[in-house]
Amino acid sequence: MTSRLMVRVLVTLVAFAVLARIPVGFDVGFKFDSGLAVIWAFGLLSLVLLTGYVGQISLCQATFAGVGAYAAGMMTATFHVDYIVAVAVGVAAAFALGIIVGLPALRLHGITLAIVTLGIALVFDRYVFQDHAFEWFTGGTGGWSVREASMFGLQMDSSKHLMAAYVVLLALFCLVGLLMVNLHDSGAGRRFRAIRDSELAAATMGVDLIRYKLLAFGMSAAIAGLGGAFYPLVAGNVSPQPFWLFTSLQFAAIAVLMGVRYVPAAALGGAFMAFVPDVLTRFGHGSLFGHQYEISYDWFQIAVGVLLIVQLIALPDGVWGDLRHRVGHARSTVGALGGRRVKVA
Amino acid sequence: MTMLRVRDMTVRFGGIVALDGISLDLNRGEILGLIGPNGAGKTTLFNCISGVIHPDRGSIFFEGHSLVYAPPHVRARFGIARTFQNLQLWGSMTVEENLVVPMDALGRRNTFSDALYLPFSTYAERASRERARAILHVLELDRHARTLAADLPAGIQRRVEIARALAMRPRLLLLDEPAAGLDAQETARLAELLHAVRQRFHVSMLLVDHDMSLVLRVCDYVYVLDFGKLLARGQPSAIRSDPKVIAAYLGEESKQSTGETTTVVAAPKQAAPLLEVKQVAAGYGGLEVIRDVSLQVRPGEVVACIGANGAGKTTTLRAISGMIHPRRGRVMFAGIEVTGRTAERISKLGLIHIPEGRGLFPRLTVEDTLRLVSNTAGHEVDITPAFQLFPKLRERRRQLVGTLSGGEQQMVAMARAILSRPRLVMIDEMSQGLAPSVVRQLFEIIRVFRDEGIAVLLVEQFVESALDVADRAYVFEHGSIVLSGAAVDLRSDRKLVAGSYLGTAVETPAMAAADGNGHRVDPALMEIVSVRVPAKVKRALEQRAEAEGRPTGAVAIELLEKVDRQ
Ligand SMILES: Nc1ncnc2c1ncn2[C@@H]1O[C@H](COP(=O)(O)OP(=O)(O)OP(=O)(O)O)[C@@H](O)[C@H]1O
Ligand SMILES: [Mg+2]
Repeated sequence: MTSRLMVRVLVTLVAFAVLARIPVGFDVGFKFDSGLAVIWAFGLLSLVLLTGYVGQISLCQATFAGVGAYAAGMMTATFHVDYIVAVAVGVAAAFALGIIVGLPALRLHGITLAIVTLGIALVFDRYVFQDHAFEWFTGGTGGWSVREASMFGLQMDSSKHLMAAYVVLLALFCLVGLLMVNLHDSGAGRRFRAIRDSELAAATMGVDLIRYKLLAFGMSAAIAGLGGAFYPLVAGNVSPQPFWLFTSLQFAAIAVLMGVRYVPAAALGGAFMAFVPDVLTRFGHGSLFGHQYEISYDWFQIAVGVLLIVQLIALPDGVWGDLRHRVGHARSTVGALGGRRVKVA
Repeated sequence: MTMLRVRDMTVRFGGIVALDGISLDLNRGEILGLIGPNGAGKTTLFNCISGVIHPDRGSIFFEGHSLVYAPPHVRARFGIARTFQNLQLWGSMTVEENLVVPMDALGRRNTFSDALYLPFSTYAERASRERARAILHVLELDRHARTLAADLPAGIQRRVEIARALAMRPRLLLLDEPAAGLDAQETARLAELLHAVRQRFHVSMLLVDHDMSLVLRVCDYVYVLDFGKLLARGQPSAIRSDPKVIAAYLGEESKQSTGETTTVVAAPKQAAPLLEVKQVAAGYGGLEVIRDVSLQVRPGEVVACIGANGAGKTTTLRAISGMIHPRRGRVMFAGIEVTGRTAERISKLGLIHIPEGRGLFPRLTVEDTLRLVSNTAGHEVDITPAFQLFPKLRERRRQLVGTLSGGEQQMVAMARAILSRPRLVMIDEMSQGLAPSVVRQLFEIIRVFRDEGIAVLLVEQFVESALDVADRAYVFEHGSIVLSGAAVDLRSDRKLVAGSYLGTAVETPAMAAADGNGHRVDPALMEIVSVRVPAKVKRALEQRAEAEGRPTGAVAIELLEKVDRQ
């Protein structure tokens, strides 16, 4: 067990070291995309916990991220606290909202739960993030802009110190990701998975459904909120647009596309969500055979839809999941060739 | 001493009264039987006791506590464990993990210490795993410990359900049809196991089953339900001869002898085979479950597949009907090669498969499910014959299939197959979950099938009855056919069948004890399971077991025996 833990820690460290270096030497836009990728990866990671482990559906994960972002923005812009405090407040706010959203999930399943969470996303998108009554929280129509920010005394405001923010964010993601992988195999993770596989059996075998479902929603919201809380730092401001309803839907779609049960799939999906649209708009125009063409952002949405259909048919466990199975299968075939025969029950 | 006291329990689902003022007492250390026709409300009563549904009226007291407002997990902490008629294992976990979950759910472990792998959690984890392994050993599930629960055959999953319930160290165990799909010998072994569990763990039990041989053998007292009401209660022997119970549930013993004469006449030997399976191999993932299976079914013939649980009967049927792809070999149906075709295309040719899980759509009503037959048949089909066959379904025609009782669902699956007038029906575990009188009726229907020229391939736990109705039979063992022949011969050759492959019904408890010798539950081991052993001793045991490559439990028993002798 402990040796497995060591391997995981090692893999995480290597992944961190590699990923941290990637944006070095690129332009500011690329660095911004990298930061954004990790923020979205947090959003997807929150679904790995909620949907992948516990089997609950939620279509308002971007709302949690948004609440984290606004709370953090408010704390720095109005109270000028150290940014780490702002992040903590953002996470706490998201956690609290997660618990509240979890309440209907105690009764609802499947489609009905999806619709309720969709409604919550809509309410926040249309009313909370864009309403005068909540100006103290959202900073008005312009949102909060974060010019000066420091974390642990280090200067961290957006344009100049983007790399620093990115590295901190990435380190946090690696840490939380590692914890999530551990959680999966631990006792608590098993109780979560028991709820996913059969709620009926879980309840009658002593798993406190209320506690564990609320915990799952709270933790999931906190993870999404943690990513969101860094948004003001990376982007320099907060606005409702990145956290609107559609981002929530995109989270759900891309989580399924990449493999909703796997932590690395969240990282993959985050990168996909941040880079692909940007690359499309940057390089997606020119002329071909004398015709002008231009690929807009809308093409990204369509591409996700098409990929999702292809994936559901060809890779039912998501891109990452099926990759893993293939590798595992190849390995066992090689093992079988080595003369080991499986005795049949 | 009353342990469980149920009073005036009433449950209604819309217009249906599933339980109507049931009162019941269970004493400490007692095994109480609960029987009754399909849809009588047995599972509903279990659901009330375990807290899954809330009764409209009535009260439950367990060891003096009122349970009315207690949620399910609190009842689990009181010591009430249950198994499910429709299996509810956690399919994506290994068998061992399935046992560990209830152990540490009841141990109130901490989520964060778990995720951080703190020493406290790691230690608790090791202790749980050890106990899980001991329980698995007792139930002879050792070799499945690392298998995913979903990959196991249904019969073994049922045993894992019992193991999982025992992992909770329960004081009251609710068993919902534990013997479904078990053959006679396995049932006898189960009976012994239940006795041993009661003795060692001091567990009281409430047992629902349609296999009367089990109920009569293990229960101290029996309650009979019918239409949600108490029909009778008393000693098992009295219940068996109670005319009310016979009329409502058991049915009259049919005249056995008639079967033999019809058997010989029927099958036209010369006819070309309707189904021909040639050297088929199939399996799942890296596992090959059947190999070199060859069998034939002629038109209008009834063929039985018999063999212990996990012998490969279900897989054979799946490979024939196209639910899985055969890896080698050929399947011919009505002169057409169907190897590797989709299940849908094969069924269009007139081959109907009623799978073990029944293959129904839970969100459709009974009537709509039966109407769907018209769709596959391509012309309008009259569904009234189904209701004549199973009058119970007529009252339930507008109910969703998913909410039917287990037996009622089995009736729907049978009715659907019969309506589609197939050329060959393959039925997996036909009598599973059905009341004895209904089972008897179904065997009659199979005779009718044959008279109408419909062929039947049958997998059946009641070997005797299956051989009575069948023309020929194949005996499966470890994924291949080891014996085949005319049913009459196999029946008279029972010794052969009994000795090496199955064992037929064991008539008396005394015989059962003698017969099941090799599988006796070892009291010493049960002790280990229930008693805490110092960590040092445990570690020593573990090391020794690992060095000798044997299960820890076996080493422990050996040591205990030595101590006893000295
Ligand atoms: N959710 C539900 N909605 C409507 N009717 C239901 C529901 N659950 C159960 N019933 C009905 O209540 C009756 C009792 O069901 P129950 O499952 O308790 O029967 P049972 O005695 O366990 O039968 P079996 O031996 O077939 O398992 C059945 O007629 C069933 O159709
Ligand atoms: Mg039932």
